Amino acid sequence: MEELGVKNMGKVFVAGVGMTKVGRIFNKGYKELAMEAVDKALNDAGIAVSEVDYLVVSSAFSDSLLNQVDISSILAQEMGIDVPAISVNTGESSGVAALEAALNAVRAGKSNTALIIGVEKLSEFPSAKINSSFSHVLDYEIEGIRGIAPINYAALLLKEYMKRYGVKRDDIFQWAIEMHKRAEKNPYAYLRFALDLDKARNSQVISSPLTLYDVAPLADGAAAAVLVNEDLQTTIRTQPVEIVATASATAPPIYLRNDMLDMLATKKALERLRTTVKFKMGKDIALQVHDSFSIYGFLALEELGVCGRGEGVKAIGDLQYLNVGGGLKARGHPVGASSLYALDETVLLMRDSFSGLRYDGDAALIHSISGAENNAWLALLKR
Amino acid sequence: MDRPEGKTGIIGWGVYIPRYRLKASDIAKLWGFDPTTPSSLGIHEKAVAAVDEDSITMGWYAASSAIKRAGIKPEKIEAVFVGSESKPYAVKPSGTVIGDALGVSRKRLTTDLEFACRAGSEAVRLVVSLVSSGTIGYGLAIGSDTAQANPGDVLEFTASSGAAAFVIGPAEDAAARFEAVVTYVTDTPDFWRREGSKYPMHGEGFTGEPAYFHHITSSVNLLMEETGLRPEDFDYAVFHQPNGKYPLRVASKLGIPKEKVLPGLVTPWIGNTYNASALIGLSKVLEEAKPGQRILVAPFGSGAGSDAMSLIVTDKASARVNEAPTVEDFLSRKTYIDYAEYAKSRHIIWRNWG
Repeated sequence: MEELGVKNMGKVFVAGVGMTKVGRIFNKGYKELAMEAVDKALNDAGIAVSEVDYLVVSSAFSDSLLNQVDISSILAQEMGIDVPAISVNTGESSGVAALEAALNAVRAGKSNTALIIGVEKLSEFPSAKINSSFSHVLDYEIEGIRGIAPINYAALLLKEYMKRYGVKRDDIFQWAIEMHKRAEKNPYAYLRFALDLDKARNSQVISSPLTLYDVAPLADGAAAAVLVNEDLQTTIRTQPVEIVATASATAPPIYLRNDMLDMLATKKALERLRTTVKFKMGKDIALQVHDSFSIYGFLALEELGVCGRGEGVKAIGDLQYLNVGGGLKARGHPVGASSLYALDETVLLMRDSFSGLRYDGDAALIHSISGAENNAWLALLKR
Repeated sequence: MDRPEGKTGIIGWGVYIPRYRLKASDIAKLWGFDPTTPSSLGIHEKAVAAVDEDSITMGWYAASSAIKRAGIKPEKIEAVFVGSESKPYAVKPSGTVIGDALGVSRKRLTTDLEFACRAGSEAVRLVVSLVSSGTIGYGLAIGSDTAQANPGDVLEFTASSGAAAFVIGPAEDAAARFEAVVTYVTDTPDFWRREGSKYPMHGEGFTGEPAYFHHITSSVNLLMEETGLRPEDFDYAVFHQPNGKYPLRVASKLGIPKEKVLPGLVTPWIGNTYNASALIGLSKVLEEAKPGQRILVAPFGSGAGSDAMSLIVTDKASARVNEAPTVEDFLSRKTYIDYAEYAKSRHIIWRNWG
């Protein structure tokens, strides 16, 4: 790995991570979830809350579901700190966007010790309300009022993908089956059970041809991480994992794309990432891709160059370090926190091991998108 | 230790299930549900009260059967408690109408109770207490509902109509005597209907683990703790039946085999009759159980609470079975209707009159 554009910028390390179990958490509010993740992350980092000097919070639906605007100030109050506190919302990819905001603050010298919290609490509400809020990650004036939700686009993409590459419906279930295998070993995962083809095949149709097991379950959860600058690197008690770079892009809505199977935002974000750092994409890299619907998992693998077009199904069996926590599909999708779960799982994997899995590579990539790939965010980590 | 409820028992029981049935597949088809939805809920069809039936008429029928089986004069009954969440009148007791129509003593305690699906069960507890304290000789506990569901809501597959009633009196004359009764209640908002609102709301998955399962396992465990009874001591187990799946799952959590649950499981064929749900299940078991057999009954009501009761069947039960229509009689008496007729009879279609 060769860093190109970030040479003169200070290095930033993940000093601590903390996650709550993902699921329908009926007996805790969002503050309790957030504080549980924060306590774990601070303990992991071995720092006191008073040492935090910058706070970034990522929550996609705090406003629409929790009636809480400016959730970052409220959580700062909850922690009893008086630091700069900002909220970040890029829909489903908010977690990596929050990571970038914290990374920038540390690199700019505005922070020595930045705390990132991703938190989502959805299960207070009936699914009609949750699904309605979730659909608002698309353009409400154009798509929302026509009743189009992300799942409908995913269904169209899946149809086109199967037709173009001759992929069978059963093959697509391999995604869910693989993700469930991983989630079984992840103590923080929501769906910790094995899935077989029969069960997946007979599950309820959600938006034809998508069935229940093609869809990531929206869930409650909180994940936190502490970033520190180079000067504090020596204070980290665990193996330091560096955030080398983040990159992102937005892209035209799917109905204006020449080819709906192109992940244009992901493609652009990857190009941008490659202008700041050279790294090798391959089947052995630790990779977290966004799989809100199984089809996006395959498309992401292909767009990121892990395998050729239409070859995702063939490749997935070999990808030992793909979505080690089970992905959104089986770890669960606490929307604004999801890609911070991906970060935390990856940091644990690079430090030592995660879910009993050890990783020898020096780099890891996290990929996150929102809606029908309205945006894409990437983060590159180094041991 | 002698428990006061041991002095009491069920003298007579009776049920009412409307004749009309709506197939769950019709509901799925109309509202565009996945065709597997009914089987995922364990429901084939539900009972629909006719346009001229309500929780008072059904409650009356069930109670009159209970009195026939009890073989006592209605005048000897000194309490009428009606548990319902679908009272025809918001203000005006159902118990007065039913009591007078039955010819029950006017020197009686009468009130309507509301606790979602377990008010009928609380009525049983209250009558048991009054009888065991010697305040009254006999009392009537009724659970009756024409349950409402928002059209197109998943609740519509199960919300149905039916009634059950028990004459409770001294243990010496009982078809089944109470051994122990306990109750477990918390503030848990899993299902509710606001004042003035036509249909109830529910917390979907929240109605499961933190509500139904937590409360029933808590009340049953409390019963076992207080009595020293174990799951294997029971020959039958009847739970509240919001769908066809939950009772079997809660039984498995409690270590009770499904063979002990199936005899009292009626929801797959009549739907969830709310306040009558577990009580119709109990009635069905009383119609087949043998003397000395022990029955666990655990109704549940949202909001939320569960009662756990242990009953022992006596040698007086079997002779009373055919004194009034049985649960089996009602299960086999059915006429299928379509959604339109259901919509009409359950007042889902609004018309202007005059």
